[in-house]
Amino acid sequence: MIGVSLSRWTMSYFAAALLALVAAEVMMTVGYGFPNAALQAPETLILVHIVAIGWLSLLMCGALFQFVPVLLNRPLYSNTLPLPTLLLLISGLAALVLGFLQLAGRIDPELPLFPAAGTLLGLGFALVLWNLARTFSAAPTLPLPARFVAVGLVSIAATAAFGIIFALVLGGATDYAPLVALTGTGLPLHVIAGLGGWLTFTAIGVSYRLLAMFMLAPELEGVSTRASLYLGTCALAVVIAGGTLAILLHGDSAFVLIAAAAIGLAALALYGRDVLYLYRARKRPRIELNSQMATFALASLAASAVLIVIFMVLGHLADHVDALVFLLAFGWLSGLGLSQLYKIVAFLTWIECYGPVLGKTRTPRVQDLVVETRARKWFLLYFIAIWLGTIALVTGYAPVFQLTAAAMLVATAGIVAQLVRTRRLVDIDVLPLPQGTHRPRLLVSLPR
Amino acid sequence: MFIMTEATADPARLKFLPGCEVLGDGTLDLRDKTQAAASPLAQRLFAMPEVAGVFLGKDFVIVTKGSGDWQHLKPAIFGAIMEHFRSGAPVVCAPTPSLPRGAEENGKAEAVDRVREALRQVIDPELGYNVVDLGLVYDVVVENGGTVRIIMTTTTPGCPATNYLKRGVGEAASAVPGVEFVDVTLTYEPRWAPEMMSPQAKAHFGITDGGSR
Repeated sequence: MIGVSLSRWTMSYFAAALLALVAAEVMMTVGYGFPNAALQAPETLILVHIVAIGWLSLLMCGALFQFVPVLLNRPLYSNTLPLPTLLLLISGLAALVLGFLQLAGRIDPELPLFPAAGTLLGLGFALVLWNLARTFSAAPTLPLPARFVAVGLVSIAATAAFGIIFALVLGGATDYAPLVALTGTGLPLHVIAGLGGWLTFTAIGVSYRLLAMFMLAPELEGVSTRASLYLGTCALAVVIAGGTLAILLHGDSAFVLIAAAAIGLAALALYGRDVLYLYRARKRPRIELNSQMATFALASLAASAVLIVIFMVLGHLADHVDALVFLLAFGWLSGLGLSQLYKIVAFLTWIECYGPVLGKTRTPRVQDLVVETRARKWFLLYFIAIWLGTIALVTGYAPVFQLTAAAMLVATAGIVAQLVRTRRLVDIDVLPLPQGTHRPRLLVSLPR
Repeated sequence: MFIMTEATADPARLKFLPGCEVLGDGTLDLRDKTQAAASPLAQRLFAMPEVAGVFLGKDFVIVTKGSGDWQHLKPAIFGAIMEHFRSGAPVVCAPTPSLPRGAEENGKAEAVDRVREALRQVIDPELGYNVVDLGLVYDVVVENGGTVRIIMTTTTPGCPATNYLKRGVGEAASAVPGVEFVDVTLTYEPRWAPEMMSPQAKAHFGITDGGSR
């Protein structure tokens, strides 16, 4: 099949995800959750899951429903499933947040909120996997970036499985000893499978293709890219399978995590080498704002890797895990997500509005839908706030962290405003819309 | 001579790599025996009744089969390609410069120019430059009766804009006076590369042959 259509619900995923990001930043600004509460306090868990599921996972799912078909040159298996999937994920997240409030004693303890959250989120992620796995299975060959995404999808299955186990145990639905043991000490596995496997590995796969595409750089299929894939997959297998076995057999899971970290860092080093090559070998000397800002996200990933090594050597890794998770979640994953959203929203909006009249009349460029000079300051503010916030967490200055969170909130609001302007074609309003086009709806794509 | 094969997205087409240069510059899409008259290599391939099309590229030949299965066809195609290269015959006959082009041929060449000019109003949305100068239009053939056949590609396979680009190219070509029917074929063989841009497009993007740095 040649040609892939627009994913109808991708904009809805992006909108829900951005709402969750803003909500999380408001919570951090007012001091809800860590660092004003303990790392495993219900308030912190609410904040963490709004970021991990509400923001990052919804963003990733929406992007994958549009982007996996591009990677595979095959249509998405179902364009109908993404809507019920989105509803399941949002309602599951709501149930999970209420479950944590229940854990904090704010809600009637009789309500089965954790089992409900486990069921809804389990079903939601199962539908994501089903839809994407069927799309993958129809492809005759899997390009390397798609293989990274495939490993990421296996990781979300593991992450969700850990999460469901925790929800069932915390909700009192089971007291089966191995599951209780996993709930007691398996949190690092859940976090690494989610943040490292599902989100980071998938983002790496997508970035290989997106960076090459947007910068006219060669597509990498060489030894270092393959080695990065195999080493990263190996690291995730060690964490997920080895870590689970270590807990169930009462072994030393710390040793497993150290071994996985060493392999994972080697994979990241190879990815870094590839990314440097992509930027250097690009044919397009003047890159656009999304590719420029992606460098700050990539720098955040590199800084996280360096800090992990430094803290491990100094024996302070456990003391600074909060700052590292923050830098990975907001500097690397959110930074990359926001910078690419800036391009993807413009691109999908252009296709929806001007694609049908291409060849019949003059059309603007995708770049004409955005004003980069206006958006640049919000991205710069965002990344500066993230890096200062990381320093505040490392040094333990909670009030400074709240100030940086406020700056993040302002920057995110600025970026969201640019995305809305792009979607509503505000910045090319000087030109009347050509006959046969329509102004796209904000939250849903209606391709013709 | 060792000839390798590569599968293509279309199961009816198979790519043959003879390990030497096939066509120095550009590509040639030959769809029947009449068109194959320009190429001794294509003539040999069209001698097989199962062969429905031949596409010649820099270092490859793509054969489209109309019937039969590859298991039986491949050995015969290997044989035809080897026989051709051993014979020392050219892949494409050089045009005879001393013979002036007929009026009909001149008319077709002008029609191709008009179609190409019309296609310049179709832009690749991401790069913001017209598809002709980006090198996305591989071939334009004007046939008798106002039929135009266009072979094109996109910068990225699977791009969501692909169908709109294909339709847009068809629309722009249809608007050229005298064009009655337009057939647009998408191909990813060869894959598009920035090197295929015209000098003007390269200058627009600041592209040098050695990359940006």
